[in-house]
Amino acid sequence: MAESSEGEEEGKLTGGNPQLVVDDDLRDMAKKAAWSVSSCKPGNGVSSLRDDNLDTYWQSDGAQPHLVNIQFQKKVKLQLVVLYVDFKLDESYTPSKISIRAGDGFHNLKEIKTVELVKPTGWVYISLSGTDPRETFVNTFMLQIAVLSNHLNGRDTHLRQIKVYGPRPNPIPHQPFHFTSTEFITYSILR
Amino acid sequence: MEAILADSVRNSLQQLMYRNAIFMCERLCAEFPSEKNLHLLASCYLQNNQAHCAYHILKGTHIAECRYLFALACFQMDLLNEAEAALSPNECNVEVPNGAAGHFLLGLVYSVKESRTQDGASSMLLTVKCVLMAYNPIIEIFKSDKMEKSQFVEKSWYTDRKHSAINHFNQALSLDPLLWAAYEELCILGAAEEATLVFDDGASLLIQKQYLQRGLPSHSSQATNEDHEITSNRSSVSDDVSPRKLKHTYGNNLREMSGNSYATTSNQPLHGGPTSLPFYSTPSPMATQAQLSGVGPPPVCRNALPNGPNMRTHGADVSQRVTMNSAVAGPRRKFVDEGKLRKVSERLFSDSGQRRSMRLAGESVNANSSTSVASGNGISHSSKYLGGSKLNSVASRSSTLRKSHPSSSEIADEGNHHEVYDESRLNVTSSTSSPSGDNRSLEPEGATRSHGAVILSSSKVTDGASDILGLLRLLGEGFRLSCLCRCQDALSIYMKLPQKHYNTGWVLSQVGKAYFEMVDYLEADRAFSRARIASPYSLDGMDIYSTVLYHLKEDMKLSYLAQELISTDRLASQSWCAMGNCYSLQKDHETALKNFQRSVQLNSRFAYAHTLCGHEYVALEDFENGIKSYQSALRIDSRHYNAWYGLGMIYLRQEKFEFSEHHFRMAFQINPLSSVIMSYLGTALHALRRNDEALEMMERAVLADKKNPLPLYQKANILVSIDDLDGALAVLEELKEYAPCESSVYALMGNIYKRRNMYDNAMLHFGLALDLKPSATDVALIKAAIEKLHVPDEIDEGDSMD
Repeated sequence: MAESSEGEEEGKLTGGNPQLVVDDDLRDMAKKAAWSVSSCKPGNGVSSLRDDNLDTYWQSDGAQPHLVNIQFQKKVKLQLVVLYVDFKLDESYTPSKISIRAGDGFHNLKEIKTVELVKPTGWVYISLSGTDPRETFVNTFMLQIAVLSNHLNGRDTHLRQIKVYGPRPNPIPHQPFHFTSTEFITYSILR
Repeated sequence: MEAILADSVRNSLQQLMYRNAIFMCERLCAEFPSEKNLHLLASCYLQNNQAHCAYHILKGTHIAECRYLFALACFQMDLLNEAEAALSPNECNVEVPNGAAGHFLLGLVYSVKESRTQDGASSMLLTVKCVLMAYNPIIEIFKSDKMEKSQFVEKSWYTDRKHSAINHFNQALSLDPLLWAAYEELCILGAAEEATLVFDDGASLLIQKQYLQRGLPSHSSQATNEDHEITSNRSSVSDDVSPRKLKHTYGNNLREMSGNSYATTSNQPLHGGPTSLPFYSTPSPMATQAQLSGVGPPPVCRNALPNGPNMRTHGADVSQRVTMNSAVAGPRRKFVDEGKLRKVSERLFSDSGQRRSMRLAGESVNANSSTSVASGNGISHSSKYLGGSKLNSVASRSSTLRKSHPSSSEIADEGNHHEVYDESRLNVTSSTSSPSGDNRSLEPEGATRSHGAVILSSSKVTDGASDILGLLRLLGEGFRLSCLCRCQDALSIYMKLPQKHYNTGWVLSQVGKAYFEMVDYLEADRAFSRARIASPYSLDGMDIYSTVLYHLKEDMKLSYLAQELISTDRLASQSWCAMGNCYSLQKDHETALKNFQRSVQLNSRFAYAHTLCGHEYVALEDFENGIKSYQSALRIDSRHYNAWYGLGMIYLRQEKFEFSEHHFRMAFQINPLSSVIMSYLGTALHALRRNDEALEMMERAVLADKKNPLPLYQKANILVSIDDLDGALAVLEELKEYAPCESSVYALMGNIYKRRNMYDNAMLHFGLALDLKPSATDVALIKAAIEKLHVPDEIDEGDSMD
């Protein structure tokens, strides 16, 4: 079933979760990365994206597209990006078209996902997996989240939080597979 | 005036009224400055946890007890060099002060010093290894040599102080066989002799001598004088174990005692002089109460020598001491005894040549109190000591015919362990820490000396000694074996203990620890919960219990345990360890780390807390700090194999396989029966491409523990890597029986079948693996593998696999 997964219908995301609920399989990858933005208003900088505070936000201050760059020290597997945006609070600052790109650096970023948000309020989950099971994860050095346009044609954008998730590594090194049963897990570590 | 002041000070100390004691003592010292009074003042300070005050006033003193207290103060203030200087014999002071306790303290000083310097050693060792790693091709040839050499380097760094420590602990034990703490330290250092050798007949003799000598302190104010005499007597006697001398010193003692005209309640028989009583005479009941002397030698091990049953004159402090009625109630038990005790007694009795001293010294001292009264006393005291239902069961158990000890001695011994544990720790704990709530560092010597008189018949003392030693033999051997990680043996020894002793907190938590090391978490859980029922206030071993619950994933029980421990004692490191384990189970590693760090702050000599910190750092992928934590743990206790294992795991993750193998091997050497360590050692060997050794190690791991499925799995892995696919499949088929719900087994089998081009089977197994809900990464891997399975089929136009 090799179909393009970027159809218009599939790209539209409405609503948003008030809660952030993530699989236990996944873990937050953001700590290992260097975060930067294309522009910001003083007082609403990149740190507001990572402060776990939904009241603070990043406000861009330049031309579109507005970019959030996430750079890792080594290639990591990423699976999920979650954004917190709120149309009710931000109205014309709420992003509407978002493009996610990945690559080795600024020179070879390639778009891997596009979504269009329609009046979102809350956490918006953007999965990076393709349909192919081999493409569950994106293995990359760098992720770039580009806000291409806003609601009501606003120029600048507000983003309140961004979280990036990847798979948990095998707690036991040098195993081809993770262990699932209790017997294996009990005997697999000494504490 | 001096005497009155001194007496009032001692009374205050006895009643635990430290401020009063300190005040009065300061007046005493101002009025009559002398080293003796300084000593009393220092002991007041130390009891009130003011080690710095004691340190300052005792600086430069010369008499033995003062030097001992000074060393203690230095130890508590972490001034190890001064402590060592004070305790070590030099030109002025030929002997280590205070005999056994002095040796014990010196041993502690050395072992702490040694652990402080290990840092340099281990970093040097790692540098050596790095250099080795750099010259890779050469390594292959010289590898084994270098590894041995590096181990030798390790050992030579460690030996000096460690040997001194061991030496001193051994000496302490020889001077006072009831100094359990010294034996424990030896076990922890891994250098203990067999308990039967330590707690043997010679020890029995020593105890008896010490008892009979110490026999006659009084309430009178002449206690101080007597203290010195007894100390000097004891130290002179302990140097000379020969029975002949004993008679003399004992005779001297008697004369001196009588000379001092001590008013003891039942003194007469003792003064009867040496007459020969047949050794086997049945002691006839005496009207008077027999009491054991409460005089301990150095305060540290004083608890080992129990106080008499006549507690009514003593404060609560004393009643918490051992109510050792064993000697008194011994004869009653003697008749109903089978087994070991009788054999022991017979062995003792048969050596009549040496027993001449006893016969002579023992004479007509028939300290048979009315046994029922005494035991009654004992039982009532045990009710003071421990509340609750346990007591009643204890009392009822004591009336049944059991192997050896009367109930009071059981409680006594339990008290022994707890108290001796506490005392020996003295706020500077070793890896197994004590409840820091019990901060009494030193007992007032004066107060203890003023206990009731002791009249014991020699046979009573013999019986008492043999009882104690019998018990200590079992416990000591069990503890030693469990420190050497021979857990099964340790368990069988603990089983030999009488029910009363087995059901105490300490023993049960040792049993739990043994099961824990054998990776039998269910049994460990059971043992520990019984331990909690037996002593709900005790924190000893609760850190291990929390780890057991962590392994069993019992988050309810674990959080309950943690809450209980914290409410029992907020300042004990075990409570915070349990709390940390609780958070770690919920995967909140940062909070867990914070808790473990708190635990470390509370007691930096608690090796397990460091190891747990290390585990959390690793979970947070902070390997630098993880390595540091593990190394601190190893500095404190180089036989802490969990830390070696942790380091091995880090290096395995970082792909530094040489290092990893070395560390796993060290862990393996300490705990050679653990199948988990063996399987990891095998994995490391496999990563080093030493597949034969790896396979052999896996075989051993399989044999070591049938219930552990991991070695089989690893074995299959190794076989796959050396292309022995059939062998691997056979192993995995076997493994399927053991663990039918493990998706990785099926996934691996699927892989193997794929390589063999048996696509049906491969498909089947991948499907099974997916059914068992593996993790997301594995799902991806397996699905990808399935996709690849299809391709050759499509190309070959084979059967469609859907």
